[in-house]
Amino acid sequence: MKRESNVRYILRLSLTLLVITSVMAALLAGVNAVTAPIIAAQTAEKTRQAIAEVLPGVTGYSQIDFTDDTGLVTRVYRETLSSGGNRYAVEVAPAGFGGSITMMVGVDTDGSVLGVRVIDHSETAGLGAVAAADSAAGQAFRDGFLGQTGSVAVTKDGGTVDAITGATVTSRAVCQGVNAALACAAGLS
Amino acid sequence: MNFRKQFTEGLLTRNPVTVQLLGMCSTLAITTRLFNGLGMGLAVTVILICSNVMISALRRVIPSQIRIAAYIVIIAGFVTIVDLLLQAYLPELSESLGVFIPLIVVNCIILGRAEAFASKNGVLASAVDGLCQGIGYTAALTITCVIRELLGAGTFGGGLLNHGEGIRILPEGLAAMQFVMPVGGFLTLGFVIAGSQWLMKHRNSRKEGKQA
Repeated sequence: MKRESNVRYILRLSLTLLVITSVMAALLAGVNAVTAPIIAAQTAEKTRQAIAEVLPGVTGYSQIDFTDDTGLVTRVYRETLSSGGNRYAVEVAPAGFGGSITMMVGVDTDGSVLGVRVIDHSETAGLGAVAAADSAAGQAFRDGFLGQTGSVAVTKDGGTVDAITGATVTSRAVCQGVNAALACAAGLS
Repeated sequence: MNFRKQFTEGLLTRNPVTVQLLGMCSTLAITTRLFNGLGMGLAVTVILICSNVMISALRRVIPSQIRIAAYIVIIAGFVTIVDLLLQAYLPELSESLGVFIPLIVVNCIILGRAEAFASKNGVLASAVDGLCQGIGYTAALTITCVIRELLGAGTFGGGLLNHGEGIRILPEGLAAMQFVMPVGGFLTLGFVIAGSQWLMKHRNSRKEGKQA
């Protein structure tokens, strides 16, 4: 067999790789086109559920611009009550034990915490994950934030929130998130 | 092609986890409840079959100098497809496995099988190899999950049964939290590997006994 010239050889290598990459890219584009709207709808639904949970009895809200010094706030939603006040649902993403914890914090008209809900996290199952769980322990932990104002901290740090057993880092992160949300909401109203 | 032989190899004698010791990172990280183990096993099995089939079909076309690059492109493509499908149709599983789904790209089992098997064998045999190795991976993961969940949280079937809480077998106070932590993962995996070694020895000596 005649030996390929160098140029042809290099061209053959590049073209083969180009074809394989293009085929995979086309496949990915196809799958993405099908799944993108479904994933977007799910994310929106999750956000809607989280807002409904942290702002009890919420009727309508809109996403608004905000200023934030902590860098933890990702989105802010405002509900204007018929009585005149504003309630806020603040999405924050503090750093937990296993990555960032995306959570929604409801802030009442008087600047106190109305509700806390973890949307997404990668904390240790059975420990930090309790913060997001529907279990009694998880509920008790999140209820510890209700009605708090100004700045919150776990009891170990001199605050009033009972930390989750064996998950001080996660508990501190949630406190940090709540503080950022309260500060952000205070700057708005 | 010998399906029985490939199956025994994947499940026991050449099990990707307990014998080849590949994909340790995901094995240790996600095996905290049954749902995770089954889900991860299923995802890896699907990707393994797809990439094995495609790489086997292209084995005469891909020049050996660029084969690793080509394999990685194919594997990354299938991993992303599975990732997107899981996010869209099984969001709960996608959430609970988190970053470990995209990380399947660098799971050595997939590239290992591409290099060691799919690049040298036919499409059908490669598909069977993907299935058998996938089953072996899933089995090892599931066993590790069941042990860690039982000892660490005292439950069985977490994420699947009893509204995701799992069925409580041990009372809450008896569960040793350390087993769901990394240290418990290493410990459990060690025992699972030892168990599979014992099983293989046992099988061999029985075979020899028959011959004698």
